[in-house]
Amino acid sequence: MRYAYFPGCSLSASAQDYDMSLKWVCRFLGIELQEVRDWVCCGASSAHATSHLLSVAIPAISLSHAEQSGFDQLTAPCLACLSRMKTANQQMGADQALKQKINDLLEDEYQGTVQVLHPLEVILKDVGLDSLGKGVQKRLSGLKVACYYGCVLTRPPKVCQFDNTEYPMSMDNILRSVGMETLDWAYKTECCGVSMTLTRADMVVHLAHKILRAAKEVGADVIAVCCPLCHANLDMRQNQIADRYGERFDIPVLYFTQFLGIVYGAYSRELGFHRLMVSPERALENYGIL
Amino acid sequence: MMKIELTEDTQKLSREIQSLTGENVNLCYQCRKCSIGCPAVYEMTLKPHEMMRAIQLGLEEEVFQSGTVWICLSCETCNTRCPQDINIVRVIDGLRELVMSGHVDYFNPHPEIPSMHRLFLKLVERYGRIYEMGLALILNLKMVDPFKDIDMAWPMLSRGKLKLLPHKSGGVEELRRVMSKIREIEGES
Ligand code: SF4
Ligand code: SF4
Repeated sequence: MRYAYFPGCSLSASAQDYDMSLKWVCRFLGIELQEVRDWVCCGASSAHATSHLLSVAIPAISLSHAEQSGFDQLTAPCLACLSRMKTANQQMGADQALKQKINDLLEDEYQGTVQVLHPLEVILKDVGLDSLGKGVQKRLSGLKVACYYGCVLTRPPKVCQFDNTEYPMSMDNILRSVGMETLDWAYKTECCGVSMTLTRADMVVHLAHKILRAAKEVGADVIAVCCPLCHANLDMRQNQIADRYGERFDIPVLYFTQFLGIVYGAYSRELGFHRLMVSPERALENYGIL
Repeated sequence: MMKIELTEDTQKLSREIQSLTGENVNLCYQCRKCSIGCPAVYEMTLKPHEMMRAIQLGLEEEVFQSGTVWICLSCETCNTRCPQDINIVRVIDGLRELVMSGHVDYFNPHPEIPSMHRLFLKLVERYGRIYEMGLALILNLKMVDPFKDIDMAWPMLSRGKLKLLPHKSGGVEELRRVMSKIREIEGES
């Protein structure tokens, strides 16, 4: 299947490892991604804090570019972009007057035919759990993974329409189907506070600390994530957490696409491992990968 | 028991919120589910359920001066769990809109947060995309703390995580047109 690809600002800058590993895995699984023409930033939390109209209009620009290029499905790997685009679609769908207003602003005729999906949804829909195990080259059995989903992959259910809201399993199921071991734990969807990264780092450090601690308590060797913002917080803040709380975790935080890449036989360099702050070297040393 | 007087005056804020967001805060019956699951509640002087009550009572000053609207992470937990199906985040966004557009002007204990949003949107309008390095730098300078999080800068730079120069989107002209039209409609803040 062919999908419009909306990388978003993070994947084109700080989260290139997510971009690289996602593209590698999609190529391997036969999922075709084509970048949305002239996409613009989704507006993130700043647009919806400022003006409702703005928060719908900004994502609508990129959605309409995708529609004009003939796509009826779009994938956005960042949860902020995903949530803004799903929300914009849902609101325009539910409110014809709003849709008309947006089209007047865009001088456009966006029909709302572009379905927005996270790569987890794309892989489940397009490949399916039964087929994912076929291409496995490397076994990571024995490695204990805590899958962290973040806040808005499943919330609010009315908008997201994906997975179980309070206890999602899609990432667990995908990783299990390629032979990995994932853990039950209570912080799968607890917010990491990323919207405060630049203004209240203390809150981010506090929330990230709770998540990392919960993962450690259930015996996780590594954490798998599906969003560049969650990744930035959990991977990069571990030194600050150690300074503030005197607790050093050194838990590697990898994108679920990096795990898929390893088991499907990609080189760690192709998956952007050199960009991780907490090196996965020790956790993965017994598997002959790095 | 406390008696609630519903006058024109006390209902002004809840009506304003309803016309702005479509949400009826009077549906809230104080079950507290929103506050129990809120990850940011430990930093809020007015917890989400208390804020709903304060809006019902028209306590504008308490609502805005508490700063709760800026501390909220927009994580959607409260929304998902509210048994009255109130879109609490939309209510909070409505309150934020009232501040951002200059409709209300109360003391804000967290002025750096709306400043960040303004700056973020300025950069989006200029480049069409967010240029993280620029945002962090300008913001730190504005808050007179240029070395905040400096411990993260070098590891990020050395891993190619920070771009030193902004990258412009081809869609920026269209975006600027849309943003300036919205400003015209809603009035410059
Ligand atoms: S969850 Fe809903 S009904 Fe319960 S206190 Fe919060 S806003 Fe009110
Ligand atoms: S959206 Fe805001 S108020 Fe609601 S639970 Fe999350 S942080 Fe708390």
